This record gives sequence, structure tokens and C-alpha cells, in this order.
Amino acid sequence: MSQMNGASSLVASLEAAGVDVMFGIPGGAILPAYDPIFSSSIRHILVRHEQGAGHAATGYAQVTGRVGVCIATSGPGATNLVTPLADAAMDSVPVVAITGQVPSVAIGTDAFQEADIRGITMPFAKHNYLITDPADIPRAIAEAFHIASTGRPGPVLVDIAKDALQKMTEFAYPTSVSLKGYKPKLAPDAQSITDAADLITQSSKPVFYVGGGVIKADASRELMELAQLLGAPVVTTLMARGAFPDSHPLNLGMPGMHGTVAAVTALQKADLLITLGARFDDRVTGKLSTFAVNAKVIHADVDPAEIGKNRFADVAVLGDLKHSIAALIPALKFALAKNRPDLTAWLRQVNSLKATYPLGYAMPTDGSLAPQYVIERLGKISGPETIFAAGVGQHQMWASQFVSYENPRTWLNSGGLGTMGYAVPAAMGAKVGAPDTTVWAIDGDGCFQMTNQELTTCALNNIPIKVAIINNESLGMVRQWQTLFYEGRYSNTSLESKRIPNFPMLAEAMGCVGLSCERPEDVDATIEKAMNINDQPVVVDFRVARDAMVWPLVAAGASNDDIMIARETAPDWDSQEL
Amino acid sequence: MAQHTLEVIVENSPGVLARVAGLFSRRAYNIERLSVGPTDNPETSKMDIVVNLEGHALEQVIAQLDKLINVIAIKEIVPNSAQPIVHDTQPDYQN
Ligand SMILES: Cc1ncc(C[n+]2csc(CCOP(=O)(O)OP(=O)(O)O)c2C)c(N)n1
Ligand SMILES: [Mg+2]
Repeated sequence: MSQMNGASSLVASLEAAGVDVMFGIPGGAILPAYDPIFSSSIRHILVRHEQGAGHAATGYAQVTGRVGVCIATSGPGATNLVTPLADAAMDSVPVVAITGQVPSVAIGTDAFQEADIRGITMPFAKHNYLITDPADIPRAIAEAFHIASTGRPGPVLVDIAKDALQKMTEFAYPTSVSLKGYKPKLAPDAQSITDAADLITQSSKPVFYVGGGVIKADASRELMELAQLLGAPVVTTLMARGAFPDSHPLNLGMPGMHGTVAAVTALQKADLLITLGARFDDRVTGKLSTFAVNAKVIHADVDPAEIGKNRFADVAVLGDLKHSIAALIPALKFALAKNRPDLTAWLRQVNSLKATYPLGYAMPTDGSLAPQYVIERLGKISGPETIFAAGVGQHQMWASQFVSYENPRTWLNSGGLGTMGYAVPAAMGAKVGAPDTTVWAIDGDGCFQMTNQELTTCALNNIPIKVAIINNESLGMVRQWQTLFYEGRYSNTSLESKRIPNFPMLAEAMGCVGLSCERPEDVDATIEKAMNINDQPVVVDFRVARDAMVWPLVAAGASNDDIMIARETAPDWDSQEL
Repeated sequence: MAQHTLEVIVENSPGVLARVAGLFSRRAYNIERLSVGPTDNPETSKMDIVVNLEGHALEQVIAQLDKLINVIAIKEIVPNSAQPIVHDTQPDYQN
């Protein structure tokens, strides 16, 4: 134990929690903490907007599997963290946010820069704290890291009153954390594993419905073994791209609103969903009452509240997926030895769909750039070790569809909240977490204008990310909906120009290299040029065709049976044996 | 509409009432009655919650409640039954 003020106790606690980097901006209420930060071993990266700090912490966490940390002052600093913390909650990302609060005597008086950030974040944070006594700081930090990183990961906020940072206290970091009301389950019950294995042997049309939980649990290797053991098709949700290699013959791609015909239809026609760390999100199920109506469900998840939330589970496997899948492998081997279902016909059906309806796109006939082509080339040239972070919109869906993901933690995006502005700061955090890996942000021209100021942070802090702006001079995804569902009445979705702002000049102004490309024949050379710049962030303005659309599409609220592969075009079901 | 009575033991920490009330409001569960009182243990309080459920499974309400870090134990009080049903989706697994 040693005597120090609350601020030093906070920084000592963060060091004890193993923090090596945090992203933030100082201000009055958190200022006492910035003094010990100045001399701490923890690298503090000064961002340009707190939203950037939050997404950077998220990107860092998604790439490293460790807790990402962001820090802000009270009031507006704290409220600027709300979006990234809600984002981290929806995508189950372990993030700890530290905020300063007005002095405890001023709490509740509408003091300058007072905002009840604990109350504001209560509906979505995994947990949060308001600390007014410096003696509580080490315990709160230890608990926050424990809660954020265990069970179903999520964001935890620790709000600390300024006087608690200033007062003297004894520092002692807890050696263990025990919470009466929080004991996430690691190992699944043996019975649930046997039941799951038995159900699998009774299925002739099983599908592995793989969600982001597999990546969170670092269970890709176990999944590979399980999938190969059964030889059943696999679909990877938007949050699970990379959990199972795209190049694997059993992988049917992404299910859901913009999923492949094979993945969507395999789920619809399955007699068993082996659900691993997925949550039956509406973007996957479409109209829930028509989703996979003939399927039984095995639902393996670490969060008990996901079981039965949207879809009844015939067998629930509660536990950490790494343990659960590892336990399922020998149980299934044993069960299959007695009774191995014949999946040949099923595999023939889904493979026929996969062969008949591959993802595709049309090259514009006027010589302009197809956005999908740009993204496809980025994936090919940059290779499977590259980390991609997408914004939200059409470019996000194309980035999920047209890059081949072979490894977990190489695809970052804002899946649950759909946060425009995620890509650049998330890529920044990812690059900090994986400095030797190439990190590309694939961003929309709309999204880029929400958070691009973090490129200044990148330029000044030696974080050489690469950004591909898919510049279609529009809020493309919304425009697509207007095309399809609002008779082409383009209310407020045109960004008017591919030249304003001038993205390469903007990039240069922020200390980055700015490039542009508008002809298909220049795409490869431009990407290669960007690949060869490693001492500075690079921004490439890909000026692409405006009217490209994302296909396939299951309209919001529609049944997955009504998947469209192009405008007014359904798959030719009659020619498929299903 | 089915009515259920839950007895919820919570940590006696500031904000815990807001957490529980906020959860019910955010997930559109209807609280009929809610009262909070002390327990023998000064570190915990007891909430008696009467909830009206339509379209939500009781298990789901309990599972969501149990996710709150400050919620320690949940019992369903079944009328005409001497023993309450104990719900705990996070029992004391030591693994
Ligand atoms: C913060 C936020 N505001 C609004 C939206 C609604 N929205 C979803 S996609 C989109 C358009 C994104 O435009 P752009 O970044 O250019 O991507 P594109 O669809 O053109 O590829 C909008 C406005 C959102 N998801 N997030
Ligand atoms: Mg756009």
C-alpha cells in the first residue's frame, strides 16, 4: 500500500490492469488524472473527438481481444462517448471508459459540464460506476476490466468525481474480483452437450449458424474441427466474417438481409440450426415467424438472456464457446460413430445454390468504376492477413461480400448499432493494436465526413492506416432504399459532388497522403501505390458509380423466402431441388 | 395477461433501483407494483416486483434481470405455494 491521490491511484490501477494504451481528450473534471498519465508507462493517444476515442478503443479490442480503454472529461466529453459505447454494447466489445465527473458536492446541481453519464449509459452499458470516494477507485477499475472482458464482453464506464481524483488515498490493487451477482459460466453442462450431439445425429439438413461470439471466444480452431467433423455447411454472420475461412468449401457466406442466396436459403430450408454465438438478429432472420420454420435449434451462447429471446432453443448450451465447442467435438464423434446421418443430398442442394447464385455485380458500361470491383481488388491485392474496418452503408455490405476473410479478427465493422463514422477511428485503434499488420478502412463518403479528423491523430502519432473512400457522392444505402421503396424520390441522400470536399486535399491537410482513382484500369496501380506507403496514413478517393446497388436483398420485415438477387428478380426456385 | 411476482435480492448500491426500473421500461415489460425494502444483510436490499407479461416469456424477464451485475438472486413467488421457485441463470459455477 502506498499513499497517493485518487488520480495516481487511477493510473496505477490502469497499469495494474495491464493497460498499454488509451485514447482520450482531457478537460476540467478529468484533469487531475492527466497529470499522472503524463509520467505513466501507458501510451495515451490524444484524439480529436471523443467518439474517435471510443471507436478506437473498440477497434483495438476487436483486433487484440484485450480490453480497449478510452478516457474523457465530464459533460460533453462523456456524452461524446455515448455513441461508441452503445456501439460496443451492441457488438459485445470489451471496452472500459473512464470519465471525469464534477466534484461530488456539485453533483446534482447542474454544475458546469455536469452530465449524468452513469444514468445516460445505464440502458446499454454492461455495467457502470460513479465513484466519489478515492478509496473505491482500484476496486472499481479491477471490476470494470473483469466485467468488460469476461462472459459476454461489453462496455463498462467508470465515472469519477473530480474531488475523488484529488483527495489522498491508499492504493492497493485487488488481487481478485468476486461479484455476488456476476458469475459467467465457462464450461457447459455435460447434459446439454450430449443433447446437442444427439440432435445433430438426427438431422439430415444441419447448418452451422455462426455469429460473432465465436470470434470473441477465440473458438475458430474449435469451429473448424467441429465443422469438418460433421461436414455440414457453415454460414458466418456480419459479425462472424473470418471466424471460418471464406475459402473453405463448406462456407456458404453471409446470411441475412444482404446475404448470399446459398446462406439465406440453407438457413430457411435447414432442419437444424447449430447456432454458435449468434443471436437471431432481425437482419439475419428477416420476418421471424417465417425464419427457418422447419428447423430445430441448438443455441450455444455465453449469455443466458439470448437463449429463447427471439427464437425457441430446443437445446441450449450455456457456456463459453471455446469450452462448449471443444466439449461438443468428442461428444459428436461418439454420437456419430453410432449414427452418422447422410448429408450428401443436403450438401448437393446447398452447393448447387452456391454455384448458381454466386455474389456478383455488373461493371458499369460507361467506363466508370464499380464500387464492388474496387473492394474486390483491395481484398485480393492486400491479402488475407490484412485487417479491414468498414463504415456503415453499401460499402460496408460490399466489403463484407467481396473481400475474402480467412482469419478471425480481420474484419471490423459496426454490426449491431450501424454507426456511421466507425471506420476511421476503429482502423486507428486496430493499427495501434496490430502495428505490423496492414489496416485498411473501407469507408463511405458520407461516413468519412463524420470522423475523418482522427486522420490527424494518425498522422501525428505514427499510425499509418490506409483509407479507401468509396465515393459515390451519396448516402448510398439510404438512396438504394429510396430507389426501391420510395419511387426514387431522393430526399436528402445526395451528397451532390465527388469533388466537394476534395478528399485527397483534405487528407493532405491532415498530414496524410491523398490519392484518387476513377478508372477501372487505374485501380490496381493505385492500391499498390497506397500499399507501398507505410510511414504515413494514406487516403484513396475512389470515385465510383453512383447507382450501384447491394444484392441480394431481403427487404426489411420481409421473409427470407422472398430474397431478391436483383431488382424484381427472385432466384429461379423451380430449377433448384429443395 | 399473466401476472407474476418476483422477489429480487440486489446489492445495496446507488442506482440499483434505476437499473431495474430502466430495464423494465427499455424492454417494455409492464411493472404493476414495485417496492424496495431492507434485508437482514445491510449490503443487500429486497425488491418485490409484480410484473404483467404479455408477449414476453417470464424466463426472458428473469434472464435479463439476472444480467444486471447488482442483481444477486431472483425468486418467483407462486401463489398458494409454500416454496418460492428460485430462478438463477447464473448460479455459483466455480469453473
Ligand atoms: C450515425 C448514423 N446516421 C445515420 C445513419 C443512417 N444511414 C445508414 S447508411 C447511410 C448512408 C451512408 O453513406 P456512405 O457513408 O456514403 O455509404 P454508402 O452507403 O454510400 O456506401 C446512412 C445515412 C447511420 N447508420 N448512422
Ligand atoms: Mg456514399
